[in-house]
Amino acid sequence: MNLKMNTRSIGNEASIIDLEGEVDVYTAPQLKQQIITLLDGGVKRVVINLSSVEYLDSTALGVLIGGLKRLRERDGTLDLICPNPRIRRIFEITGLDKIFDIYSTEADAAKKAGSKEVT
Amino acid sequence: MAETRPSVVELRIPSKPEFVGVARLAILGVASRMPFSYDEVEDIRLAVGEACNTAVERAVKANKTDTDIVIRSEILGGKLTVKVRDEIDVLPVIPEATTSPTDLDEQGLGALLMELLVDEFKVEPQPEGGTLVTMVKYAG
Repeated sequence: MNLKMNTRSIGNEASIIDLEGEVDVYTAPQLKQQIITLLDGGVKRVVINLSSVEYLDSTALGVLIGGLKRLRERDGTLDLICPNPRIRRIFEITGLDKIFDIYSTEADAAKKAGSKEVT
Repeated sequence: MAETRPSVVELRIPSKPEFVGVARLAILGVASRMPFSYDEVEDIRLAVGEACNTAVERAVKANKTDTDIVIRSEILGGKLTVKVRDEIDVLPVIPEATTSPTDLDEQGLGALLMELLVDEFKVEPQPEGGTLVTMVKYAG
């Protein structure tokens, strides 16, 4: 199984990357490249939608951590949408759920963006 | 009478990223034949995937991607032993327990996951060269 990736703009300097399939040692470099492309384009908030991800490994975690670090350097953020308990568990057992903001739905993730604009 | 001889499934794959998924599919089939829960089967799939990842990553670093990885599964009663053997002499990095996950690279995260997902985990150099990762998971 391969990785399908679709990127959508969700407002000023914010984008969602929808992922479908497996994010592993073979496909994670595609995600890394897409995050870099968004950063180079001036995006400050990247939301990675893992709702349709069936498998995710340490290589994917490494790419997400790298993306988060790069974005934070620019006062940005990288958040996750992850309703799948199996995938969410990987973040929990590694302690990475304390590092990332993880939402169950796109609407929940969007609320954060809204509240940020207000404050 | 208790079984004494394990049922063995062995797979050889090239040390290339595109073949790691093949090993994961195979171990999914093996683990599904045992009385593991759905979550346990997924844990085994991820742990074996990580063992193959570290072999592939070390092969790339050592410029030895023309080597192979052998994944041997042994089923004995409710015990599944998976041995992942590669031809790379440099051992995988095992992180200190106190290291923050954000300070780990992919290899460190992979080793952390393997330790967390299986009941027994061991990495050892082989006398004939290469590295052997042994993982054990008990069903029930």
